[in-house]
Amino acid sequence: MATTACFIIVSRNDIPIYEAEVGVAAKREDAAQLHQFILHAALDIVQDLAWTTSAMYLKSVDRFNDLVVSVYVTAVDALPFNIGLDVDVAVVSKEEWTLLNPLYLPGSRITSSHFDTKVRALARKYL
Amino acid sequence: MANFLAQFQSIKSTSDRLVISVEDVSDLWPAVKPAFEARLPFKQGSLNNKTRNPVLVEKLPAEFILTTDSRLRSRFPQEQLLFWFREPYATIVLVTCEVGWDLILTDPIIYIVYDKVVVGVYFVQPLNPNSFSEGPSFLRRCSHVVTIVNTFWFMDLDEFKTILKPRLKLIVQNDEREWFIVFVSRAHPANDKASAMAKKVYAKLEVEFNTKKRERCCKYDIHSPESNFWEDLESKIMECIRNTLDKRVQFYEEEIRKLSEQRLMPVWNFCNFFILKESLAFMFEMAHLHDDALREYDELELCYIETVNNTGKQRDFGGADHGDDQAALLNPGNKALTQIVQDDSFREFEFRQYLFACQSKLLLKLNRLFEVASRGYSFIISFSKSLALHERILPFCMRETWVVTACLALIDAILSNYNDGLMAPDIEKRFFHLLGDLYSLARVKFMRLAYLIGYGTEIERSPVNSAALSLLSWPKPAVWPSVPADASAEVLEKEKVILQTTSRTKPFGIQRKPLPLEPTVLLREANRRRASLSAGNAFETFDGRQGITEGMSPSQKVPPSSIPRTNSSPGNFDGSIDRPMRLAEIFVAAEHALKKTISSQELLKSLSSSEEFEQKYLELTKGAADNYHRSLWKRHGVVLDGEIAAVSFKHGHFDQAAKSYEKVCALYSGEGWQDLLAEVLPNLAECQKILNDQAGYLLSCVRLLSLDEGLFLNEERQAFQSELVRLAHSELKDPVPLDVSSLITFSGNPGPPLELCDRDPGTLSVTVWSGFPDDITLDSINLTIVPTSSADEGAKALQSSTPNVLHPGRNTITLDLPPQKPGSYVLGVLTGQIGQLRFRSHSFSKIGPADTDDFMSYEKPAKPILKVLRPRALVDLDAAVSSPLLTNERQWIGILVRPINYSLKGAVLYIDTGPGLEIDDSHVIEMETYADVSENDDNKVQKDGAQIDSLNYEKKVERLTLHNGKIEFPNWASDTPSIIWVLVRAMSDMLSRGSSSVTTRRESIVDAMRTIALNLEFGVYHNQIFERTLAVHFTYPFYVTTRVTDKCNDGTLLLQVILHSEVKATLTIYDAWLDLQHGFIHNGQTEGRPSSSLFPLVISPTSKAGILFSICLGKTNGEEDRKQQESILNIKYGISGDRTIGAHPPVMDESTKVDDARQELIFKNAITLQRPVLDPCLAVGFLPLPSDGLRVGQLVKMQWRVERLKDLDEKEVPEQNDEVLYEVKANSGNWMIAGRKRGHVSLSPKQGARIIISVLCMPLVAGYVRPPHLGLPDVDEADVSCKPAGPHLVCVLPPALSSSFCIPVNS
Repeated sequence: MATTACFIIVSRNDIPIYEAEVGVAAKREDAAQLHQFILHAALDIVQDLAWTTSAMYLKSVDRFNDLVVSVYVTAVDALPFNIGLDVDVAVVSKEEWTLLNPLYLPGSRITSSHFDTKVRALARKYL
Repeated sequence: MANFLAQFQSIKSTSDRLVISVEDVSDLWPAVKPAFEARLPFKQGSLNNKTRNPVLVEKLPAEFILTTDSRLRSRFPQEQLLFWFREPYATIVLVTCEVGWDLILTDPIIYIVYDKVVVGVYFVQPLNPNSFSEGPSFLRRCSHVVTIVNTFWFMDLDEFKTILKPRLKLIVQNDEREWFIVFVSRAHPANDKASAMAKKVYAKLEVEFNTKKRERCCKYDIHSPESNFWEDLESKIMECIRNTLDKRVQFYEEEIRKLSEQRLMPVWNFCNFFILKESLAFMFEMAHLHDDALREYDELELCYIETVNNTGKQRDFGGADHGDDQAALLNPGNKALTQIVQDDSFREFEFRQYLFACQSKLLLKLNRLFEVASRGYSFIISFSKSLALHERILPFCMRETWVVTACLALIDAILSNYNDGLMAPDIEKRFFHLLGDLYSLARVKFMRLAYLIGYGTEIERSPVNSAALSLLSWPKPAVWPSVPADASAEVLEKEKVILQTTSRTKPFGIQRKPLPLEPTVLLREANRRRASLSAGNAFETFDGRQGITEGMSPSQKVPPSSIPRTNSSPGNFDGSIDRPMRLAEIFVAAEHALKKTISSQELLKSLSSSEEFEQKYLELTKGAADNYHRSLWKRHGVVLDGEIAAVSFKHGHFDQAAKSYEKVCALYSGEGWQDLLAEVLPNLAECQKILNDQAGYLLSCVRLLSLDEGLFLNEERQAFQSELVRLAHSELKDPVPLDVSSLITFSGNPGPPLELCDRDPGTLSVTVWSGFPDDITLDSINLTIVPTSSADEGAKALQSSTPNVLHPGRNTITLDLPPQKPGSYVLGVLTGQIGQLRFRSHSFSKIGPADTDDFMSYEKPAKPILKVLRPRALVDLDAAVSSPLLTNERQWIGILVRPINYSLKGAVLYIDTGPGLEIDDSHVIEMETYADVSENDDNKVQKDGAQIDSLNYEKKVERLTLHNGKIEFPNWASDTPSIIWVLVRAMSDMLSRGSSSVTTRRESIVDAMRTIALNLEFGVYHNQIFERTLAVHFTYPFYVTTRVTDKCNDGTLLLQVILHSEVKATLTIYDAWLDLQHGFIHNGQTEGRPSSSLFPLVISPTSKAGILFSICLGKTNGEEDRKQQESILNIKYGISGDRTIGAHPPVMDESTKVDDARQELIFKNAITLQRPVLDPCLAVGFLPLPSDGLRVGQLVKMQWRVERLKDLDEKEVPEQNDEVLYEVKANSGNWMIAGRKRGHVSLSPKQGARIIISVLCMPLVAGYVRPPHLGLPDVDEADVSCKPAGPHLVCVLPPALSSSFCIPVNS
């Protein structure tokens, strides 16, 4: 499993509402931009693919050199796409649902530090 | 078997169609050949594919070859088996039954042949040596020969049996060929005999060779072929081909199966397998069964990968030849198979390309472009990996070069075969995205090559380029190329270029580390790879510093201390293997190595200069972007548009650059990917600045400021702001509108909305979040509020009243709110001005700055900020006391002011009295709290939920003064009900008038009413106005009725005066006297006063008291008494009452007030005493009315009889004593009187004289009405006796119905 990973939750309008860079490797300075760029471009593929399959977990939808993009497409409005680079997104996404604040306003940015901590803990567990 | 490879390839290249052999038994082929060959290629045919399913094949090419042809004869049996695909697929046996004369025309001899035997020779002298072809003229000259030709000799049945049949049998027996017989008849249709014979022979032929299962014969009439002959022929050929194909497929399959089973054995030879497999594939291809051919190639590829790669043998990979860098993935004949064979297999490099070329050729034939693209892309990716594995043995950058050429070749092949509109939309979308991927891949590899030779500075350090290149590993050659000995000039040149290149500074002075274009620093990588061959790693220390300085400007990359400048001088390159290379050297070395690697002139040209590089780079980028756009992968497409924009920007095409950058920015900002936006947006801003697009530039500044704070340094954000402010205040000439929704957001204060009463202005407090890094001064701020209920009403702008400086973060601004219509309002748009900049913001924020402005913009808050209540009573003004007050006295009027949940702070009450009422000159007003205990308690219980002791309620009284008719409310009265006591006097100059106890009271209560108009102005801005006119009842203290209680014999009349108390106060009568009118005198010595012992007489409220006066008829002599027509009752009284209840003692002036003095008031009342009619002079009698009654509209005659009861006293008789004045009075609303109402009638002064006065009247209304009254004005009432004595009523019926309007019910 890779040593670094990026995990982004994308809302209904393709807006990233949560972003986490996780991993043990030293973070590259341009990693955020690089990962954002790759995951953003992967949305093109996800949007094509999501309608052709009933599967929610789209493993390795895109590959950018050594980076693999996996997507967990949810059926709820709140978190339509969970895109991850080198993360077992399915596991993280499923557990992440349980973390959602019931008062969360769909579409808004997730700023809860509690949520962030939990997601990072999950990522460490599965990385 | 590998020896057959060369032969196999040559056979393959020569035979490209199916062969149909022709067995020409009767030398007929030359005669039928043109007609037969005209049928080629076969239009349609049904063949079986590998799975024995019929497939319709169109345009199947084939070739007719005579069996005697050398191509078919000179083959060895082994070859035949191996290359069976080239063997004939059908055999046509041409026969005829005509064994006749034949002419063989040669120059100048004509041979006459009979049954292939020359029986005569004629010599003809031609007129023209070239005229042999002119058949007719030639034949005319030898007419005797023509005669011979026309005479045929026919084979009879016996001869058929004995000659032809055995020969045919011989041809077809012991041969596995698929054959059929074409019987050719040359007989002219007119020649019946010949035709009949031909039929007979053909019938015999059919009997002999046709079977039940299969017909093997068909007849071809040269002169008039049967209509279905050609179809028949084609179907027979097809049948043969089908059968042969099936047979051969079976054979090949069997062979292949056998070989496949052995494929893991050591003796196995891939070449054999390949020849068999490809033979099969080729056969399918010839038969136009491309799908099957493709499948064979696929299986071949699988088998190759499985067997060749897994055998573990170290094989030669290939690719070392010159020109191998150019991908040959579309050209199967690029190299001869013998060239790529190695031992018993093939070299991977060439063979996999060969296989793919065969596959793609078939796919292109099938016009499956999408598959070409998708397989091609996968192939390039996987082959590139293979190349990476063998990179050490391949030339420098062979892999990159190969990928670039492969992608471009594939794209070219696909686009040259592409026809728009043939693909399904879904497939087409994917097709374009694959093309985009191919372009993109070529672009990345091309950039890598360019970077290696020093064009890195030409490549934009954008996210897409950085992501592509920084994750792409460097080439890993066995040895990194070193600088050639004679390249010092080039190195110098490169160094010059490096030194001259300055990295592009970012606009706004943004300090950001440029994004990397390399996975690791090239200098380090190149030197490490070189150093691994050298002895030591001493350079590592130097290298560490290099790594740090790499990100800076190129001039700093090579510290002069480490690498002396002298190193660049010629001659020092020898032995450079131990010395780390400098960057320029690396570039030059790579360039030289690449020139050796790259054989494609086009690619070399593209890398020859930075201009050429840029052109190719643009071409690839545009190709990728266009195709991504066509595949609706907007993100991929738009990002590449940004790259094109960067090039346009570099060349000063700012217009194009701005357009493309705008697209990129719109994409990123629309989807909220701020990190990426932060990279592009400054570039767009720069373009707009150069283009003088002020509105766009300002918007970009705003968007830069709206990005996450962490994306830019605070100084940078301040620079954005100062740029915006500078533009707004100085450079803009015309006002520019600007949307700052993402930067300035606003929200109402939390909690319930501000509630205002109708017509009330207010102040609205709004929280505004400023995203500016510094304070910003705004010229104005306006905010609109929008009513939620009525859509037709536009938004209303509110002006801020607070200083317009927005601090970073949260600000509270207050807005003046003019009176609004009732309803709920939400916040609309925030607008404002900074210099010439008109900004507006639509964004609402709920809890903080709108970092997620996109979602906010569609989630408009439904929460109202303002509620204007519907109009309701805010205050009530009423009279505090309902009982009457005293007329003509100074009385307090109580005005109860009751605020209804609304503050009356600062309220002003205007008081205006109506006629007959005046405010006392002192203008003293008292105001006190109104404590309605029961009401208060209820309210308090309801409001506070707790009982508040009403006794604790402090009662306040304040004396105020009326200024110009208005009173200003004290503060304490703003929320509590209060009473205002106003001192007034109701003026009445009419004397109170008593009435007889038998008559009803005449005085109207309205006469005693006075009005007082009140106008209360209240509210914060006195905007609320409440007007009310109060009616106040004033009265005299008593109402007097009189009655003569007794008439004594001595003429004494006892006059009872009954005093009704009219007020709710206790009245005390101190004295009372009566001034009698003319004709009456007091009896006795009382002077009209009752006994003093009666007084003081106390009369409780609403009770009565009576006083008895003793009077008698009599005359006084006084002149004054004569004038007095009415008696006056004088009552001296006192009053003790409370103003809160009603009438009360009149207020004394402070100056005249005497303590403890009894306040005595005088009440005067006029009483009319009527002398009793004791001896009337005249009697007036109302004569009875007609018996049928009165009816509205009917004239009736009213009659009165006037009779003189006694003679007139002469003294008293006026001059015209025989005339009596009469007057008829009637209510004009009830009666219409016809004739004179007033006049004189003559009446004799003698007693008993009588006269009847008639007046015609018409009643106007129905009901009981008073009839007209006849009065005699000249005669004293006391002298007239009336009958009936008092007022009376008559009944008037309604008008009779008009029958003309009635409709009988039964009709």
